Amino acid sequence: MSPRRLVAIMRKEILHIVRDPRNLFLVTVSPAFLLVLLSYVFSFEVQQFNLAVLDLDRTSLSRGYQASLTSIQDLDLAYTVDSYEEIDPLLLEGMADVALVIPPGFAAKVRGGQEAQVQAIIDGTDPFAGSQAINILTSLSAAFVAGAGSEGPAMARQPVSVLTKAWYNPGLLSLHGMVPGLLAIVLIMPTLALALALTREKETGTLEGLMATPVLGAEYLVGKLAAYIVTGLVSALLALLVAVLWFGVPFRGSLGLYLLLAADYFLACMAAVAVVANFVKSQQTAMFIVLLIFIVPSFFLAGLITPVSTGSLFSMLTSYVLPSTHFVEISRVVFLKGLGLGPMLQPALILLGMGLGALALGLFSFRKKVG
Amino acid sequence: MFVRIRNVILKELIQFARDRLLTAFILLAPVLQLILMAQTVERGITEQPLAILDLDRSRLSRQLIVDLDNSDELQLQFYVDDYERIRGLLDRGDARLAVVIPAGFAEKLLAVRPAAPQQVQVQVVTDGTNTMAASVTTSAAANVLSRLSSDLADASGVVVPELIDFRTNIRFNPTMDVRDYTVPAQLGFIIYQVTLAVAALGLARERELGTMEQLMVTPLRPFELTLGKGLPAIAIGGLNFGVMWVISLTVFGTPMKGSALLLAALSLLFITTQVGWGLVLSAISRTQQQAILFVFIQAMVDMTFSGFLVSVKNMPEILQTIAQFVPLRHYLAILRSVMLKGAGLEELWPNAAALLILGVVMWLLGLRAVARQLD
Repeated sequence: MSPRRLVAIMRKEILHIVRDPRNLFLVTVSPAFLLVLLSYVFSFEVQQFNLAVLDLDRTSLSRGYQASLTSIQDLDLAYTVDSYEEIDPLLLEGMADVALVIPPGFAAKVRGGQEAQVQAIIDGTDPFAGSQAINILTSLSAAFVAGAGSEGPAMARQPVSVLTKAWYNPGLLSLHGMVPGLLAIVLIMPTLALALALTREKETGTLEGLMATPVLGAEYLVGKLAAYIVTGLVSALLALLVAVLWFGVPFRGSLGLYLLLAADYFLACMAAVAVVANFVKSQQTAMFIVLLIFIVPSFFLAGLITPVSTGSLFSMLTSYVLPSTHFVEISRVVFLKGLGLGPMLQPALILLGMGLGALALGLFSFRKKVG
Repeated sequence: MFVRIRNVILKELIQFARDRLLTAFILLAPVLQLILMAQTVERGITEQPLAILDLDRSRLSRQLIVDLDNSDELQLQFYVDDYERIRGLLDRGDARLAVVIPAGFAEKLLAVRPAAPQQVQVQVVTDGTNTMAASVTTSAAANVLSRLSSDLADASGVVVPELIDFRTNIRFNPTMDVRDYTVPAQLGFIIYQVTLAVAALGLARERELGTMEQLMVTPLRPFELTLGKGLPAIAIGGLNFGVMWVISLTVFGTPMKGSALLLAALSLLFITTQVGWGLVLSAISRTQQQAILFVFIQAMVDMTFSGFLVSVKNMPEILQTIAQFVPLRHYLAILRSVMLKGAGLEELWPNAAALLILGVVMWLLGLRAVARQLD
């Protein structure tokens, strides 16, 4: 491998990226652009539920109960219905998430110190939202009873108090958790650009021209990878600036470490794509592979929204094979925990292993084709 | 006319079959993806690693630890001796949640009977980097603690009747099965990607490889070319839907409460709409690369507004309005309602009408763009 030819290939690639505005956008600006788009959407914290109430009691107490439920933002009294039959269509159409039935004699029973049954009908299609709605209703009802119903000392009924602290993200702001995680997804775009560049050379026939030059297969591949990693780092820096300056996400770690690990991440993704591109004839197929193997699964499996499932070996393996799983972790540690390399050594080494392994495989399979 | 459309379709199918890897990818990858993702998301947030610092070491504190370990969301993995260790476990992400039981916990709670027990504070520390996991695990711990609290209050003789007996009745998905919720959504997502991507490259590829000029000199009219390009994509999407729908029902046991015919018809409508949009994108792109860029940005926007990852109804009005223009959003609502709720056209007509209108508009736009290309 000659350094001179390697540099020449790198120069050619960087020139290709810089000269073509679309490619330049794809490699450098698109991650920052997508980050803005996705972060806005993932930052809505308030989960509001539409409540339908069937009040068969119609007393001041039952109205007070309704008012106490809707006093906070989580529940929105969207419908007041008159019969049980009206509830079903509302839930079916998704107009209401929760329906509450207050039985006749509710006030009389509560005032008399008896137990009154209240029924909550919940749309369980989304289990996360459903259980959250149950929690909210239960705690609000308990608070109402404590306020209006009994005279017992409140402390006596809750002798154990809970003090919750969320480290690294004290307000549990989902924006601060999501933006570093989303970085792992948007930084797949430079990899997509590389996949397209590798297959385009085949599709348009310029690869044959290169094969006629003294450039070795290894030089071609390494030069190309290096060029995309370097320009990819520009995109990582831009995305970081957007996260910090635009969204105000705290950046507690070191910039150098972040860039180093981003390069590590690019290496893992790009080397894998380089191997695949050996067997791919068209840009169309290359795009499918990046979309179906890297991007879409990353939303679900990389621990972005729910943590990586450790329930079965199979699901753990699928998650850990994805490079983005490791970078979601790295990025959150660098941004929010601000620690050194120590806690990130494992994901960093896994990414490095993936990258070097794929690179070796890529060099091996590529040389054969050139020769 | 029909002969010409048939010929374009034939040409498309031959080209498609020639790229073996692409064929395999489009037909098999979606199925694989569905199986993979459904396997993995099946369980939701469960068995998150828990660290305990028990400064009390009493029977009551041990009982509390067992209760915490027994909750679905938590699993006791670390039993530490000092507060500093907790920092290390959370830093490395080894533990998601730490509970600190203070010294004198049992003594204060059990001591003075039958008078009201003294209040003690239990500290719950969580790793806030994943906010969803943080709130699920802290509320699980809080639930265990409040149950312990009421048990103690009962035992201490402060009898407080539960004045409101709260009964919950969960409709449509009574066991709150996460898989039943996610599989229909995954199904929708996967059909979406495949159809859009197949359609979006059709014309851009002809243009880039120079074969568009050859098409121009044939007597093909714009709508014949559009239909000839669109129909194979619709067929591929329909085939994908059929296979994955059967897999969802048989392998994953997803309920199918509504009418299969209605679902098939509305799925076809969605696929047609999506293919129309893909044709527009491919007609306005100069190169495949540009079309791909469009598809990616489009896909991100659509995933965002689909209502699966983030709930649309919590977004500001303006974004909710934008979401109405996203076919995927309507289709996911349809899939979920028909499969899980057994909804019919009476409930779903707004979504169906939206898909129809969007579809007609997109095909008209596509037709215009193709006509401009052929000139």
